[in-house]
Amino acid sequence: MNDEATAIRMTSDIILERRRKSRNVRLCVYLALTLLVAWSVQVTIIDDTDWERMGSLANVLEGANRFIGIDFSLFKDLVEPTIETFMIACLGTLLGVIICIPAAWFGAMNITPFKPITYPLARMMMTISRSIHEIVWALFFVAVVGLGALPGIFAIAVRSVGFIAKMSAEAIEDIDPGPVEAIRSVGGNNLQVLIYAILPQILPQVLGVIIFEWEINIRRSAILGLVGAGGLGLVFFRQMNTFNYHGVMTVIIAILGLILLGEAFSHWVRRKII
Amino acid sequence: MSNQPSRIAGDVPIRWSRYKFPDTFLRYGAWLCVFVFLVYCVEYLNIPLDRLLGVFGRMGDIVANRYYPPDMEYIMDREYLDYVVETIQMAYLGALFGIGLTLPLGWFAAYNMTPSRRFIYPLARLITMSCRAVHEMIWAILFVSILGYGMLAGVLALTLFCTGFAGKLLAEEIEAIDMGPVEAMRSTGANLFQTMIFGVFPQIRVAFTGIAIYTWDVAFRAATVVGFFGAGGMGWYLKRNVLQIETERVAAILISILILVMISETVSAWARGKAMKMQ
Repeated sequence: MNDEATAIRMTSDIILERRRKSRNVRLCVYLALTLLVAWSVQVTIIDDTDWERMGSLANVLEGANRFIGIDFSLFKDLVEPTIETFMIACLGTLLGVIICIPAAWFGAMNITPFKPITYPLARMMMTISRSIHEIVWALFFVAVVGLGALPGIFAIAVRSVGFIAKMSAEAIEDIDPGPVEAIRSVGGNNLQVLIYAILPQILPQVLGVIIFEWEINIRRSAILGLVGAGGLGLVFFRQMNTFNYHGVMTVIIAILGLILLGEAFSHWVRRKII
Repeated sequence: MSNQPSRIAGDVPIRWSRYKFPDTFLRYGAWLCVFVFLVYCVEYLNIPLDRLLGVFGRMGDIVANRYYPPDMEYIMDREYLDYVVETIQMAYLGALFGIGLTLPLGWFAAYNMTPSRRFIYPLARLITMSCRAVHEMIWAILFVSILGYGMLAGVLALTLFCTGFAGKLLAEEIEAIDMGPVEAMRSTGANLFQTMIFGVFPQIRVAFTGIAIYTWDVAFRAATVVGFFGAGGMGWYLKRNVLQIETERVAAILISILILVMISETVSAWARGKAMKMQ
């Protein structure tokens, strides 16, 4: 009885001790984070800002106020770029999905054909695609294929490979191995296993991911015009360069409208799939 | 297997198929529509299909000739490394402010916990939506034109970007909580803040940590390029070299971005794993 009591007290002491220690650690972490914030604020906001150019708060508000308003005369010029933006997003996503097929196949641990080479290769593809921003991709493709919609499509395709392939590869790694074995045992080859055992299992999930990415791609394609790849971004850039601030606002509203439509559609489709 | 004809009474071979007549018709119709739409897109966008095949050869050519030996000395430069540090700081601050804004916004935009479903909920939804819908580059350009060049514009652009990104995730997380504790607290007369702090927050704490870390990761990726239009950080370097067609330096900068993103991804994965274990 007595032993038990001391044992309990000892364990509670240990727990309390541990809790105090973790509290100390947490305190240190918070302190470090706060110091980091202070340092970052000092360097980025206080030192690097041109306070004189900005002037007083009234000046800033005035600057922001310029943007409020809509340029109705721009409407008819917006229809075509909006459709273009939408189409670039669609074609880019499609091309991205096509590039994804080998990437997801190589990047899934359980079905990758030759582990020491194909697996790291696919993973590297995904990381490169995700870590380089679409603007940079677009610049690269503009340099390669010239101005127009094509570099935009390529940029979006390459940029969306990373996310779709990663999610699909993870979905493939999580499949139920039963059907795979069943198809193998009746003599199916690798391709048949892929089509009849793996694809049906991952399809709903992957379709959801693709539609989600498509929705993001609309957002991306709206800015690719900034570097010469067509669509709404080009109009935005022109309005900005001619200091037509109301026009800038109009373009942003057009982008918002397009994205809202895309989001509503994607919500509806995803609910339907699941 | 499924295509073999099977015989039923009488000698009429019947093909088994998963879909019956109206469904098959609709399916083929839908595929046809998609195909027509794609062809129309290609037509509308004036894509030169005949040049498409030659593109890959040229791509390889350009990469091999112009980008190939990346100018590694350029990115080892002290000044460049300073810019890298500034980029990291910018991403850190943007993510931090964004998450700070997200806390109330995620609360207001969660349908089950919002203080007022009629007024505050749609408003919070609208704010997170528009933050997310407008691309971070557009935010950066707008802020640069209002506040002038410098990292303040970048930090604010990233803040809005992170608000949109984390706000949606957080609201979804709050909508998925167990309402039992909330009800219990309400029945003892707790006010809005008390239910939030003691009823909701303990349930979403781990998920919130994960979201915060992930947000930082995403913000860093965006921070590498917001400088493109004058909002500070290494994007400015990138733009300068792109404009000067110093392609070997551009290649080096891209490599440095790649390495940094890999590091940040590893760190964020490690930290998220750690946060999950704390549960």
